[in-house]
Order: sequence, then structure tokens, then C-alpha cells
Amino acid sequence: MKRILVIDDAATVRLYHREILEQAGFAVTEAINGLEALEKLEADGPFDLYLVDINMPKLDGYGFLKALREKDIPQAPAIMISTESSPRDREAALVAGANLYIIKPIRPEQLLPQVRGLLGEGHPS
Amino acid sequence: MALKRGQPTPADHSPGERQEPRDLETLLQTLLDGDPMKRRWAARDLADHPTAAVALATQLQHETDTTVLQIIISSLGCIANDVAVRGLIDCLYLEQALLRNTAIEVLKELPEPVAPHMGQLLQDPDPDVRIFAVNVLESLRHSNVEEWLIGVILKDDHVNVCATALDLLSEVGSPRAREALQALKQRFPEEPYIQFAAELALKRIGVE
Repeated sequence: MKRILVIDDAATVRLYHREILEQAGFAVTEAINGLEALEKLEADGPFDLYLVDINMPKLDGYGFLKALREKDIPQAPAIMISTESSPRDREAALVAGANLYIIKPIRPEQLLPQVRGLLGEGHPS
Repeated sequence: MALKRGQPTPADHSPGERQEPRDLETLLQTLLDGDPMKRRWAARDLADHPTAAVALATQLQHETDTTVLQIIISSLGCIANDVAVRGLIDCLYLEQALLRNTAIEVLKELPEPVAPHMGQLLQDPDPDVRIFAVNVLESLRHSNVEEWLIGVILKDDHVNVCATALDLLSEVGSPRAREALQALKQRFPEEPYIQFAAELALKRIGVE
């Protein structure tokens, strides 16, 4: 079963993503910010995919992705999710190491094909 | 990078060994120095001078060094007068997420000075700024937080602003929020996240 780390400071958002992903057959681990995500990474080993919010306390999504990409581990795909729609935010996310940038609100039918595509289980829509 | 013998070490820059006086006038001059290290010291020490809020807020607009900017934001938070709070609020309009988030974290700790500005922030034309304002409410210990959030989910027409308010309302909401949550579900019937989060919030406050 593919393992996905969901990183968001909003509990409701984490739960929403968990339900979508678990119903689709993925194993989900949650982290409340980038710092906790790095700790989970150390404790549980690399994940198959990272779903990352941008604005979080302690360590934001950009900081997490930079740290993730600097680690000598397999370069698992990362999807950055944000409320911000400016091209500059999208560019910053891709520079930080995101494979994909999705703007909220997230719909299951939008998220799942992208996740499966990045995991090599189908084509991204 | 290894330091060469005889090269100044970070310890040489420790604040305790500074030669410059720390009076207000000197600190204000040093805040404009060409050396980021000196600007950093000045920004930090100016936290003890409330009248420096104007200079710090002004320097926010011109400073290019990220670490100096972070210290300016922190010092404005220590000063926390109206000028300082307005300077911090200006950070919500910055492009750099790191600085924006630093300002949000500082503003969260300033309930009374921030409160008079919240109504205007929540009506800013830029939905991203309204979202950051809701982020500030996250741990703002102020008696109006629930009222502000209810106002957002009742009136704001941007789904992501409402969703952000909803996330917080599901944690801090009371039965007072019931009607607003139900109205929100009706306003965004096609948004799965709004439906999910509003249902969750209603369950948590015990008024399914």
C-alpha cells in the first residue's frame, strides 16, 4: 500500500484528505507543520508522496520541501496545496521542489487522478 | 565553509562585543547601515524603543536581508503600539511566505492591538489577505473571535476564505455558530470540502 504524508496545520483539512486518500486505498500519515513532517520522515522513513500546505507555523511548506529535497532519500513526488493562486506562488512552489501545485478547494475527482499519476498508477489529468 | 585563520569568526560579531553605543539615535542610524549584521543588531535593540516603530516599519519596505526583516517583525511585535501593528499588518501583503507567516505568528500574540484592525482586514479586497487575517484569528485570544468567524462564513463570497474560517470555527465554535454553518452549506452546495467541514463543525458543537 502506498504511503502518503499529509501536512497541514488545519485538522479538518487533514481529516478531509485522509478520508479521500484512504477510501482510494492509500495509507495516510498526518503532520501538523513542516517540522513535524520532517520528524515523521525521520521516524517512519520516506513516504511515497507528500501532500503539503504552504502556510503553516514553525516550518511552512516551502521550508519543508527544501529540507526534503536536500535529504539523500528517494525523490518522492510532492503536491503543494494552497489557497493562493498567483503565478508567483506557483513558481515558488515548483522552485522549492513541488511536482504539482493545486489550488484549494480540493475535490476528490481532481486530487485522486493527480496522486495516482504521480505514483505511476495512471496518468495525471 | 571553513574559516581561515585570523578571519573574523561569528563570535567576533556577538552583541556583547559591540563597540557602537545603543542610544536611540545611533540605533536608528545603524538600522540603515550597509552591513546586514549591524542592521540586525540595531533592529533587535530598537525593540526597547517604542518611538522607533515608525523607523522599523519604514525599513520593512526597503530591507532586503531576510534575517533583518524577521528581526524587524519581531521587534515590532515587542513594541506593539498602533504604528507597529500597522507595520506588521503591511507584512500580510508581502510576497515572501516566510515573512508573511512570521508576521502572522507575531500578530496572533497581540489580541488587543490587533482587534481594532480586524474588521477592515476581513473586508480587504484581496482574498489572500482575508485568509491571512483569519489565520491571525487562529490563536488570537480575543472575545470577538467567534463573532468575526461567523461574519466571514455568513458574508464572504470567496470559498477559500470561508473554508479557512470554517476550519477554525470547527475548533472554537459554539452553538451560536449553528445557523451560520447551515447557511454556509447552502451557499456552497457544490463544494465537497465546505460540506464536509461544515458537517464536522456542526457535529463537534453538538447541533447536528
